[in-house]
Amino acid sequence: MAQSTLSTFPFLAPAEFKSACQDLADRCTSAQSTGGWSIRPVTQTCPSLRITQYIDVHTDLIQDPDRHEAYMAQMVEDEDPETLVRTNLKPKLQVDYDIVLSPSYQVPVLYFALRWLHQNGPVGLDAVYQYVVPEQYQTQMKTVGVMGGISMGYHPVSGTPAFFVHPCNTADAMTQVADAQSTTPGMYLLIWLGLVGHCVNLHIPRELFASDGARPSCSESQ
Amino acid sequence: MTARRVVHEPSKLVMETRVSPVAIQRSIWDGRIPLEIVLAPSESRTYDKTDPYLISFPRISYLPALLPKLRAFFSTSLIEPDSKYHEGWFAFEGVPLKWHYPIGLLFDLYAGVDPATRSSTPNPDPQEDESPLPWRLTVHFKDWPVEELVRLDANGMVMNDAFINSVKEADFLRNGTAKGIMSLSKEDSSGLWKAVEDVDLPAFQRISSILLPAPSQPFRNVPIRVFLPLPPDGDSPSLKVVQSPFPPSISTPSVQASQSISPRSSPSVQPQTVGGVLHTLLPNLFPSRRTPVLAKPVLHGAVLPMSAPIEEVIRTSAYGDGWAYVVVRMMG
Repeated sequence: MAQSTLSTFPFLAPAEFKSACQDLADRCTSAQSTGGWSIRPVTQTCPSLRITQYIDVHTDLIQDPDRHEAYMAQMVEDEDPETLVRTNLKPKLQVDYDIVLSPSYQVPVLYFALRWLHQNGPVGLDAVYQYVVPEQYQTQMKTVGVMGGISMGYHPVSGTPAFFVHPCNTADAMTQVADAQSTTPGMYLLIWLGLVGHCVNLHIPRELFASDGARPSCSESQ
Repeated sequence: MTARRVVHEPSKLVMETRVSPVAIQRSIWDGRIPLEIVLAPSESRTYDKTDPYLISFPRISYLPALLPKLRAFFSTSLIEPDSKYHEGWFAFEGVPLKWHYPIGLLFDLYAGVDPATRSSTPNPDPQEDESPLPWRLTVHFKDWPVEELVRLDANGMVMNDAFINSVKEADFLRNGTAKGIMSLSKEDSSGLWKAVEDVDLPAFQRISSILLPAPSQPFRNVPIRVFLPLPPDGDSPSLKVVQSPFPPSISTPSVQASQSISPRSSPSVQPQTVGGVLHTLLPNLFPSRRTPVLAKPVLHGAVLPMSAPIEEVIRTSAYGDGWAYVVVRMMG
């Protein structure tokens, strides 16, 4: 397969982004296991990549008085709380991550939307920090910008409210860890995901590297 | 002067009516839209008999700025007296309005008012009943449309954050880096938002002059977004926005130049125009770079000249966040 290098590094051209999305989706298809990832390229209007993950929410309930109350009420209703815990009624968060190319920054941007399963209620920025951002990134993410490294905005394809990780320093960060000559579009996207994904609990499954042994060093923390 | 120069000279009309960039910016910041805001009947003790709130609101302002006043004005009418002002949201003909866009853009998008042209005078007598002015909006204080609008917060941080993110994007396009806005002092950064909130042009100009490249130094790309016409009876409120990085000038190895023996007429750099951008982004709607055939571009309620250099348009006529939000209107 012809591997082209990047024409606008540290930026990513639309055609390169499209091929990178396809490359990552192909890796998922050909890998034996995808470590819980469900991934698919979305290309109706503009190319993008959707990754869906689920977050189990259990002990954290105690930190949130409202949810804890609702949860306990449910427990009381049930005769045997032990069985309830083992059923699939446990609240879960579905996180839909979408990777799209920003026409302004000309780098990929990570959007994500959260939805409760087995429970109602809105999911605000507080829930993002409580359930999605890992402990070790909390301070770093909260102390930049007006509201931290994660903002609320609108999904560029669907137009619905979504969170996104600020892309304004992405190009600089890519310059630090990759170079134009040896980086293919597919590698670019993996390295980028390694840089950006961790802070919102999106880790590249190691299975995706099994085929070529190429692992971006920045993804080794998991 | 070569023949080529004559061909590309701006039309006489432009020359005659040329006004200073400062005057254009001044009149944009002075631009106001008359609003008539009613409380959603389902939230009012008097259903649709509640008095409307009338205000002449600056085009460059954002709707959430009105919420504290509206909440106070309608406080005695609200069925649910406990609702907070930051739970307020606006709709036009049932469509929730995205509060992160300045109202001038929302008006150009939805109100259906014929844009002004160079020759037009304000129509003194539109069909009486159907006059689009004042623009009639509905305010709600409950049932936030979670699928359509990002929620606001009590201390205005969400609004401020959205504005600054937009400023950053524009800055990145202009400079190719985010260093400008990142290196802006915290004071100036919050001052920029305050200047827009207060519609304080002198304060805005002071801070934006730090951000904008000097006039002698061209933008790297121009921050412009083009909004496509909404389907006539579309259920989907989702806006179609087109954007692509455009440098402010283009190299033109023009036919005249190659035929000329003058050494001065080698491939030259010409300013990218409004028509050039639209033709490139939307060739079907704008088959010509010079003449609007099927659609016309609208900014701040006026039809933009196709020949206007795009960087000049943005330097004089951007919204407070640095963007030119151009609405495409079908003709005829």
